[in-house]
Amino acid sequence: MSADDVKEKGGSDSWSAEQVHEVKKGDTLWKIAERYYGDGSLYMKIFEANRNILKDPNLIKVGQKLRIP
Amino acid sequence: MRKLVLLSVLMMVVAGLISMGCSKAKGQAEAALKAAEKVISEAKPEAEKIVPDQVKALEDTLNGAKEKFNKGDYAAALSDAQAIPGKVKEMLASLKAKKDELTKGWTNLEQGIPKMMEAIKSRIGILSQSKKLPANLTKEKFEEAKSGFDNAVKDWETAKESFKTGSLAEAVTKGTTIKEKIVQVLQILGMPVPAAAKS
Repeated sequence: MSADDVKEKGGSDSWSAEQVHEVKKGDTLWKIAERYYGDGSLYMKIFEANRNILKDPNLIKVGQKLRIP
Repeated sequence: MRKLVLLSVLMMVVAGLISMGCSKAKGQAEAALKAAEKVISEAKPEAEKIVPDQVKALEDTLNGAKEKFNKGDYAAALSDAQAIPGKVKEMLASLKAKKDELTKGWTNLEQGIPKMMEAIKSRIGILSQSKKLPANLTKEKFEEAKSGFDNAVKDWETAKESFKTGSLAEAVTKGTTIKEKIVQVLQILGMPVPAAAKS
């Protein structure tokens, strides 16, 4: 995981350990799952955690901030 | 002869007065000691959990006063014993301040630790299903994180129990240690450490 292509931070709550990934150009949920979990096939975990902003797991937008459960 | 009788009577009166005075001092010292013992024993159950050093200092003062009383130094025993209620009052003020500080600390931990635990539990659950771990996490490190997390969960239960039984200082000490363990687990898993957990 490189700091250049992955922007991550905690949530706004000072006690939150929630990991947030800001979508960059070329990102897919599969790739993001690979980075954080080592296994792209777990991409649905990220999709499910972000159902409030994602309608389709194949459709993510640059700049979107995704929760990484 | 008459003078001798008069002198004897006078001496007896003086001895009686001295004896009465002595007995009065003894009684006053005894009452003051009892009063001091009572105020200490009333404050002790809660105070010894939070300001044990101050409770010990008061008990030492009381024991010193009792010792003086047993040696017949009633005036010193009275003076020492009479000072104790004031010292207990000071201790109670200090107890309240410390209790407020600890309660604030506990409330903070109680707010944060479950949130961090929830995030870790979720991540461990997902990583356990992963066919391959992320690049920055070895199998050994993952096992270390899991075991650290399991221990933290158990310890958190004992910390909450300490709080329930009124052992605030113990609860906060345990909670702070758990927070540090959890921070280590977060770091192993490559998760962000909350700002509040860094202080």
